[in-house]
Amino acid sequence: MKILVCVKQVPDSCETLHIHEPTGWIANLPSAVFRMNRFDEFAVEESLLIKERLPGTVAHALSVGPKRVNSTIRRALEMGADHGIHILYPDAGYISPYTVATLITTYARTKDYDLILAGIMAEDDMACQTGQLIAALMDLPYTTSVISSEIDDEAGEIVVGREIEGGRRLMVRFELPAVLTIQSGINTPRYPSLSNVMRARSQQHEVIRAEDLGIPQVRETCAGLRLPDSASMGTFIEGSPREKARKMIQVLHEKAFLP
Amino acid sequence: MGIKTFIIAEVEQGAISKETYELVSFAGTLSERRPVIIVLGRDIEAQAKEVAGKTGCDTIAVSGEHLELYNTQAYSEAIMDVIRPDSPCCVCIGHTSMGYDLAPFIAVKQNAACITAVESVHGGLFSRAICSGRFTEDIIPETESVVVTILPGAFPQCNSEPKGSGSLITVKATLPKRKSRTFAVTESLYRDHALKDAEVIVSAGRGVGKKENISLIKTLASVFPKSAVGASRSVCDLGWLEYNHQIGTTGQSVSPRLYIACGISGAIQHVSGMKDSQNIMAINTDPNAAIFRVAHWCIVEDLTTFIPIFIEELKKSIP
Ligand SMILES: Cc1cc2nc3c(=O)[nH]c(=O)nc-3n(C[C@H](O)[C@H](O)[C@H](O)COP(=O)(O)OP(=O)(O)OC[C@H]3O[C@@H](n4cnc5c(N)ncnc54)[C@H](O)[C@@H]3O)c2cc1C
Ligand SMILES: Nc1ncnc2c1ncn2[C@@H]1O[C@H](COP(=O)(O)O)[C@@H](O)[C@H]1O
Repeated sequence: MKILVCVKQVPDSCETLHIHEPTGWIANLPSAVFRMNRFDEFAVEESLLIKERLPGTVAHALSVGPKRVNSTIRRALEMGADHGIHILYPDAGYISPYTVATLITTYARTKDYDLILAGIMAEDDMACQTGQLIAALMDLPYTTSVISSEIDDEAGEIVVGREIEGGRRLMVRFELPAVLTIQSGINTPRYPSLSNVMRARSQQHEVIRAEDLGIPQVRETCAGLRLPDSASMGTFIEGSPREKARKMIQVLHEKAFLP
Repeated sequence: MGIKTFIIAEVEQGAISKETYELVSFAGTLSERRPVIIVLGRDIEAQAKEVAGKTGCDTIAVSGEHLELYNTQAYSEAIMDVIRPDSPCCVCIGHTSMGYDLAPFIAVKQNAACITAVESVHGGLFSRAICSGRFTEDIIPETESVVVTILPGAFPQCNSEPKGSGSLITVKATLPKRKSRTFAVTESLYRDHALKDAEVIVSAGRGVGKKENISLIKTLASVFPKSAVGASRSVCDLGWLEYNHQIGTTGQSVSPRLYIACGISGAIQHVSGMKDSQNIMAINTDPNAAIFRVAHWCIVEDLTTFIPIFIEELKKSIP
């Protein structure tokens, strides 16, 4: 089996983000720390579990983004992925899931992957579409929100559990090659082993410039960002921690939650 | 917009979902032209008739044995067969597990912009939340065809009395080219009556920091009679609490008299499961956390130091 895992780098905390007034786009404070999108950690882990089950399997980790995303690719290698691919795309504000999916598809089309894994959603743009776009562009079957997977190697098929509203599951069987978007909780992402950390430190990533793959024409643009309507904010309880605690107790008494 | 708008209806426990009626309202903000509703299922004429009657929209019922349980391949091909002749067009789907699954596929096949989890629309701008609801982004489609998914609850259900029923067309779906079969649906493995029965729910988010701190949440809950402990999905993924505590779209929906969210950012998938609580309090270190937009009382504090202070003060206040 040859597996491609798409990993996105996201800011560790939303608190280091602010709106850069001149451009109207998100800017990262100098203190910003970046990490792998959490849903993608589950996708990397799933590829490693398949690798352990089916000897001879290789897992490649791919990320689209500016230079800094190489630390996220390295993280995937530290977890146990075999090869890192970096599609270098400048840090230029809004990047459409369609652009990312097209770049990944152009790269992957000739590489004969049996399985392409993505996270169900990126924590920053919350689009829930990149994996499905890749599948549609490559004309591959896909399933989103995968919470269990079992490969039937001989039949060239896969059986997945797809989590839907209320935690119910649809069980689906379909043919490989295919694309899956992984839901959190499908497994427990591992911590890197020391030997993999050492290996990842010296391993070169395959770096490809997005321009060389061909950047598609945009299908949507972002007019800008803003803070959500502040009218919807609740009442902020002010004061020292102790004062806040007392006010909270008062409210709870008034509403008869406390005896 | 002169192009046709299609709504992909959803059927829940045999009836047209309330999100479908919300989509009709949404479509009304896009264009004067009445949308066309597509309903899919094994034997779906009755539901199609119902939605055509209630909305006055022309409705297409697509039936087939292989459409009984939702299947990506089967549904996407059946939908494309219906809308292809009308391209370019606008397609609206709920931002549900079916909607986000289908929308990107339809968009690719239509060369359309795909805009997901839309909360509002004005002047051609589609607004959606990013970064767990901390910011709103405004998206402009640059294509003729557009596919959008609409956040459940973002628009009211359409309720104007239509002048008359929409027409009903029934079609038989052809079998998809590729083998893909949804062969079972299983109920959630995790149900907890404690959450349903509780008057007060105190919930833990990733902001509790470590498993040991769950005891703080339990202590806070124990202050209230008839209380239970809830959790965000992240907390369950981390193994800090079992999944039967999970609240949200893919967990349980609750509406207690009081909900206290501790260290929860307020991502829509969590909020949709607790926003109907009568009173909501939130404790979070980030003054801009989206949870403060659903909370009635907001406390900007580190919960690991604040909860012990709260307990201390409470003890003092009891004579
Ligand atoms: C299809 C789908 C379905 C989903 N279903 C669900 C669901 O049913 N339920 C659910 O909960 N999620 C669900 N999610 C996940 C959801 O999108 C979020 O990822 C999740 O809710 C985030 O959990 P959190 O708020 O605990 O963590 P985070 O988003 O990481 O937030 C942690 C918060 O804690 C605050 N904080 C940090 N330290 C402290 C401190 N010391 N004191 C106080 N505050 C602190 C931070 O400011 C932050 O706001 C789903 C996602 C998808 C894609
Ligand atoms: N820039 C990127 N590089 C690599 N993978 C990505 C990128 N953006 C999105 N993805 C993948 O697509 C998934 C869904 O992202 P989204 O559609 O943006 O919510 C993520 O979990 C990743 O697996």
